[in-house]
Amino acid sequence: MEKKVKIYTTPGCHYCQQAKEYLTGRGVAFEALDVSQDREALKEMRSITGGGRSVPVIAICDQVILGFDQEAIEKALNCLQ
Amino acid sequence: MDVTLYSLEACPFCEKARIFLREKGIQFAELKVVPGSASWEEMKVKTGSGTFPQILVGEESIGGYADLVDLEASGKLYEKLGIADRKSDTVLYDDIILGAGPAGLSAAIYAIRKLLRTLIISKDVGGQVTWTSDVDNYLGFSQVNAAELVSKFESHVKKFDVETIIGRSITAVDPTGRVKRVVVDDGRVFYGKTLIVATGGGHKLLDIPGEKELQAKGVSYCSTCDAPLYEDAEVAVIGGGNSALEAVIDLMNIARRIYIVSISPLLGDPVYRDKVLASEKVIVFPQHQPTRILGESFVEGIEFRCLVTGKVKTLNVEGVFVEIGTMPNSSLFIDTLASNRNGEILVDLECRTGVAGVFACGDVTNVPFKQVVVAVGEGAKAALSAYNYLINQK
Ligand SMILES: Cc1cc2nc3c(=O)[nH]c(=O)nc-3n(C[C@H](O)[C@H](O)[C@H](O)COP(=O)(O)OP(=O)(O)OC[C@H]3O[C@@H](n4cnc5c(N)ncnc54)[C@H](O)[C@@H]3O)c2cc1C
Repeated sequence: MEKKVKIYTTPGCHYCQQAKEYLTGRGVAFEALDVSQDREALKEMRSITGGGRSVPVIAICDQVILGFDQEAIEKALNCLQ
Repeated sequence: MDVTLYSLEACPFCEKARIFLREKGIQFAELKVVPGSASWEEMKVKTGSGTFPQILVGEESIGGYADLVDLEASGKLYEKLGIADRKSDTVLYDDIILGAGPAGLSAAIYAIRKLLRTLIISKDVGGQVTWTSDVDNYLGFSQVNAAELVSKFESHVKKFDVETIIGRSITAVDPTGRVKRVVVDDGRVFYGKTLIVATGGGHKLLDIPGEKELQAKGVSYCSTCDAPLYEDAEVAVIGGGNSALEAVIDLMNIARRIYIVSISPLLGDPVYRDKVLASEKVIVFPQHQPTRILGESFVEGIEFRCLVTGKVKTLNVEGVFVEIGTMPNSSLFIDTLASNRNGEILVDLECRTGVAGVFACGDVTNVPFKQVVVAVGEGAKAALSAYNYLINQK
């Protein structure tokens, strides 16, 4: 089954790291994609954000969150229950 | 047992006492007193004091707002109220540190080593240090990866028994009065005898059309994060200081063309300047001011004006990296702490703000030279000043 949470990251992005730690801390399984290496993932990230070019981007179910916005993530995670 | 609150109209500490009692779910009767009236005389007789507010539990006078918070935190208020099985959920910290950048973390170490009960509240750990890739000028490290430096700071602090709330924003602070109150975005309220403000700085914005609308759609404030997304692209970097030059260096091996737009000639350290100017990819527009970021749903260009000739130019770019410096995160204190016209909180040599028990350190203050090593030193000073303040309290 496809994971429901995806996070698009780059290695130099501290907020990506914090977002991953946050998700791990919440016990949420996620797939992390390094868009500096993975062109397909970059394309996907840009298409779901309508041209977005800043990381992290976090996709939860059908919701797309720009940046490490804890409140928005918390709200979006409700769809997993 | 009944609680009586004697209050005066428009008295801030009366309002605080009222809010506190409501927050704790303690029933009380309020008597609004007019100075000089019979009720005022009654209050003076019953409480032995003429200042506001005054609080009675039954017939016993317990004092004002700060005494109320003290008593509640120790659980004694509930004993007096006859609900001895209720434990206080209020902790009265010796020290609440706002912000966990270098200044706040350093303050924490000094506070803890003085055995102060300390709480750190911060959105993140590391602050601005996490926005850069390497730090080259911190004593003891000729070059250190910024994330590594932050994790060293963090593990140093974790060695001690310090309580932390990380990942939360502080939304309101009431620094006046003997007990200080800090409200966090999930609604929790914390009380401290002292505050150490170490909220640092945030990105200065260009404040031009297109900037807000296109944030994360090509407008970026973090080159270490987003530079890899601009392979073979043309981009603009705004600014002429070290941060701007570092952004150019982050982009140099990735982008096809980098325009630097700066209102001044290029400043910044010669080591960075030489490296940037040696690149064929870089074109500098000194003494130019950005006026608009262009694009509908993502960045397509930038418009800027020459400060000498007034001529307006546009360039097609896919990305705009804004690196025009920082501004202090001091808006929480706009009504309570004195600041200069840049919004930096004014402190004296001992990091005192002018409000008793409130200290500030690091980039949020008017201390010159915004550097990690300076922030770390100021954090230590603030904690030691807070300690001196506490031992001089009764
Ligand atoms: C790109 C860049 C490169 C740099 N390079 C260097 C360098 O090489 N060497 C050097 O010495 N210095 C460098 N600096 C400067 C250095 O990072 C700062 O001087 C230093 O981080 C200041 O520390 P501080 O603790 O005062 O504030 P900050 O680092 O800004 O930390 C403030 C903390 O407060 C938190 N905070 C703020 N408001 C709130 C709120 N409302 N609620 C909760 N938390 C809040 C923030 O999340 C953060 O954790 C650089 C700065 C930048 C931007």
